[in-house]
Amino acid sequence: MPGLHVTTEQRYSTLLQQVIFAPNLNAREEFLAEAFELGRGALSQDAIPPDELVAIHHNAILCFSQKNPDMKLCDVVDLLTLPLIEMSMAYGMSFREQLEKQYRALLDKRLQESHRLEAVGTLAAGIAHEFNNLLCSIIGFSELAFEGLSDEEPAKESIQQVLVASLRARDLVSTMLQLARKNSGLPSEEIDLISEINSVIKLVDVREKKLEINFSSGVPNAFITAKPGQIQQIILNLCINAADAMEHCGTIDINIESTTSDECLTGVGESAICITISDQGTGIPPEVQEQIFNPFFTTKEPGKGTGLGLSVVHRMVEDLGGRILVESRTTGGNNGTDFRIILPFVDKDKRGTSCQKKCSLYKAHNHGG
Amino acid sequence: MAHILVIDDEFQIRQLVTRMLETDGHMVTTASNGAEGLRLFQQERPDLIITDLIMPELEGLEVINRIKKNNDNVPILAMSGGGHHCRRDVILHVSELFGAKAVLPKPFTRSELMQAIVVALS
Repeated sequence: MPGLHVTTEQRYSTLLQQVIFAPNLNAREEFLAEAFELGRGALSQDAIPPDELVAIHHNAILCFSQKNPDMKLCDVVDLLTLPLIEMSMAYGMSFREQLEKQYRALLDKRLQESHRLEAVGTLAAGIAHEFNNLLCSIIGFSELAFEGLSDEEPAKESIQQVLVASLRARDLVSTMLQLARKNSGLPSEEIDLISEINSVIKLVDVREKKLEINFSSGVPNAFITAKPGQIQQIILNLCINAADAMEHCGTIDINIESTTSDECLTGVGESAICITISDQGTGIPPEVQEQIFNPFFTTKEPGKGTGLGLSVVHRMVEDLGGRILVESRTTGGNNGTDFRIILPFVDKDKRGTSCQKKCSLYKAHNHGG
Repeated sequence: MAHILVIDDEFQIRQLVTRMLETDGHMVTTASNGAEGLRLFQQERPDLIITDLIMPELEGLEVINRIKKNNDNVPILAMSGGGHHCRRDVILHVSELFGAKAVLPKPFTRSELMQAIVVALS
């Protein structure tokens, strides 16, 4: 806003002159206050950045001293610096307020998200019983009808579609329930990442005929603590998304390695294992990246995605004390997305003791119940 | 082929399980609640009981409890879709502690039912 800028500068310079030539102390105080208000207003409206205001202030002093060479520069500076100091303090305070406001908004957003998840959970638990009974009838009777029809019957294919859809509905109910609960009820145990990933690859291979999965491990063994099935679900969800991103044709690279990078270890612990799942799909634009872990957010066509897959992955990784990082390229010919999951590593040397401790705790708990 | 008692408060589920079992050659008796199930169990002495867990009047856990308290070693297959205040996996796990030999989460496919029956009868 150059117009506002120039006007403020001129007005500010005039005020500083009025401070110097004020007829009495009261008038001087008033001009000083007015200069301070003008500067503070400009700063709070973001009309002028703080460093420019300092420059304006210095210019005003220089201009004034050139016009009045008989006055000592240090006296002028001494007198005129007051509004600048006060403005800086006010600016600092407002900057802090802004930070606090942003922090509060961020917290509110997290809170809203957790309320939303809670609502999904309550809804899912509430409908699960009725829904599961209904689905049981739909799946079972469709199967019976399917088996009773000869291959020539055109209705046979329609019934197969009903079956496919109802099995997807079964998965959806189960996913919603998983999203709603933090713990699966089963105790955590030591999980061999390499064998878990291999079993998921077999599953994906059956589903995706035109897809190739390259799996490499930079470590001979990789153990983490998780609940049975958690790792499989995380990897499976990410592989399904990768396959969708490449329209079910291409290569998914899965790599595991131990990591010592500070970026990866933040909040995870001293040693961690990093699982990278990369695709050569279309990539995720930055504005979409912020939302991909939100429940019900999906870029898939209606009916193709529930928007729950990545939010379940995110929640599970957090439950495991890990982090998930996304890096995506939408331009430059090297399109694709890398999901990096960083999980706390079970130290081989300390493994015996921690596992023994867990087992005895679990036994004690079971004896109590 | 076995004589199987099916206990479920949902008419459609009773009908579905009956049809699946009869297609496989089993003989089926049905009950719509736990109390009726216990009475029919005493009368007919089936080879296997398939019971829902969350039912009005007498629930499935109580059915399993009463049968096992009497030292009856009839195999029981517990099935459940969970409830408002009860998680499916938890209640199925509890039913095993009560003495159910096999468990089956709802909804299930025909092959899942048949596999669970094989486990229960083994």
